[in-house]
Amino acid sequence: MIELQEVTKTFPGSGTPAVKGVSLQVKSGEICALVGPSGCGKTTILRMINRLVEPSSGSLFIDDQDIMKVNPDHLRRGIGYVIQQIGLLPHRTVEENVALVPRLLKWPEGRIKERVEELLEKVGLDTDEVRKKYPYQLSGGQMQRIGVARALAVDPPVMLMDEPFGAVDPIVRLRLQDEFLKLQQSFKKTICFVTHDMNEAMKMGDKIAIMNGGFLVQHGTPREILAQPANSFVEDLVGEDRGVKLLDLVRVEALMLPREAGTANGRSVQALDSAKKALEVMLEHNVDGVTVCREKQVVGILTWETIKTYVHQAGSEAGG
Amino acid sequence: MSVLLFMINYFHRILEYTVNHFTLVLTVMILSMVLWFSVGVLISRYEMLAGAVLGLGNILFCIPSISLFGLFMTIPQLGLGRRSAVLALVLYAMMPLVRNVYRGIKSVDPRVVEAGQGMGLSSWQLLWQIQVPMAWPVIFAGIRITVVMITGIATVATFIGERNLGRLIHHGITRSNSDMILAGALIVSVVALCLDMLMGLLEKKLVSPGLRYQQRE
Ligand SMILES: Nc1ncnc2c1ncn2[C@@H]1O[C@H](COP(=O)(O)OP(=O)(O)OP(=O)(O)O)[C@@H](O)[C@H]1O
Ligand SMILES: [Mg+2]
Repeated sequence: MIELQEVTKTFPGSGTPAVKGVSLQVKSGEICALVGPSGCGKTTILRMINRLVEPSSGSLFIDDQDIMKVNPDHLRRGIGYVIQQIGLLPHRTVEENVALVPRLLKWPEGRIKERVEELLEKVGLDTDEVRKKYPYQLSGGQMQRIGVARALAVDPPVMLMDEPFGAVDPIVRLRLQDEFLKLQQSFKKTICFVTHDMNEAMKMGDKIAIMNGGFLVQHGTPREILAQPANSFVEDLVGEDRGVKLLDLVRVEALMLPREAGTANGRSVQALDSAKKALEVMLEHNVDGVTVCREKQVVGILTWETIKTYVHQAGSEAGG
Repeated sequence: MSVLLFMINYFHRILEYTVNHFTLVLTVMILSMVLWFSVGVLISRYEMLAGAVLGLGNILFCIPSISLFGLFMTIPQLGLGRRSAVLALVLYAMMPLVRNVYRGIKSVDPRVVEAGQGMGLSSWQLLWQIQVPMAWPVIFAGIRITVVMITGIATVATFIGERNLGRLIHHGITRSNSDMILAGALIVSVVALCLDMLMGLLEKKLVSPGLRYQQRE
């Protein structure tokens, strides 16, 4: 678990804090997507978690351990860190990059070699093809995969990912996201995932933390954020994405899976209702799906998964 | 052609001068690289020393070489000969070497250094595993300028007793013997080229192929 308590950071020589009184919990095994406009303090929060930046006030805990009491180098070796854009060491081969932290921890060479092969395979790369290459010889997608492999090297329970899929085209990004989510299903890491793309946040985050101007504006599940934006800023941020905006316009019947049988319980919506309405009902009753009726007749079901997929697809079609 | 004839006639003498010249420069380079590399690394870590050290290098570099050789010669412990020559040349090498080591380390992309820091490298590990390896191209640019420069200035050491290629040039001038001057100049260039190539080999060994690409861009 990662926990921030009233964390504030003012950089020296800067009048206003970059991060203002942020309290946030990321539960074990969950992905928290930190989202917000450029300069709102997302990276700064990540860097406080691995002590690349020291908070001006407030405290941070990893698994109830105050991180200020841990040697920073040791702390960092135990946290997987995937970095915005530049992250791989240009003078090291792929293999050496992935082996970086295992070498620091003095693993035996044999074990390192095995681990590197295993990891490259896990992130979907042909080990023999890439291991001896240098970063400049790789595509953007390959670099990001290797960034992820390196962060996973010593199997750290906590990972910090700073726009890990930022520098690739939308199609590759979708693939990387899917693959990473698949890995996460078995890894169950505790992850802080920074992005400025609301679609990505919706897809990757178990929880979403929305930041603006150093403040944490809203923290909740994607559903809560979609259905009950805390203020107009969140509304705008969410609304910028065509997919999310469309939830207001698209009818439940357009998204539902047709189903004849079954009875309407209290958690039902009308086929002509908006998808947004369905979402509100799910949220209200804390369920993952609702039955869809035409008058009293059950005609289908609509699940959160379907809505999420729809939002994501519509959003990426819009060029996000 | 008369230059060639001259070289053939005085082959043994010229060989001796050449070997002396070569070994002098090589000694100076080895000492300088060890010493000035360390100093460059040091001032990159203790920034407050940087201004003073780089300033000192500049001042030394501006002293005319002949006067520096002359000055050292008068110091009893140094006297005529190799010791004075080596010391003076090592001091000349300070400016280009220290500056390039310092500049090389400082010019490493801070984001890469931070990436390493984020992985948990300690500050010494950052230096040896990231900053220095990434600075090699700039450091070697300095080394290769220095080796050519020192080969040239070493000719002046003939005035304090070094029996090297400077002697050919010096005697050529006093005797108005153009063949002698030319032979001296030619061989000095060849020695410089050879040493430069030698450094090139070392560079090839040390600079990671991952960086050579960047240099070309
Ligand atoms: N080392 C630093 N020194 C001074 N100011 C800094 C430093 N790092 C960040 N800042 C400032 O803090 C604010 C937040 O920066 P941060 O990098 O956290 O933003 P971000 O949300 O990650 O933005 P982006 O989406 O562009 O990466 C910015 O105004 C930035 O200029
Ligand atoms: Mg950032």
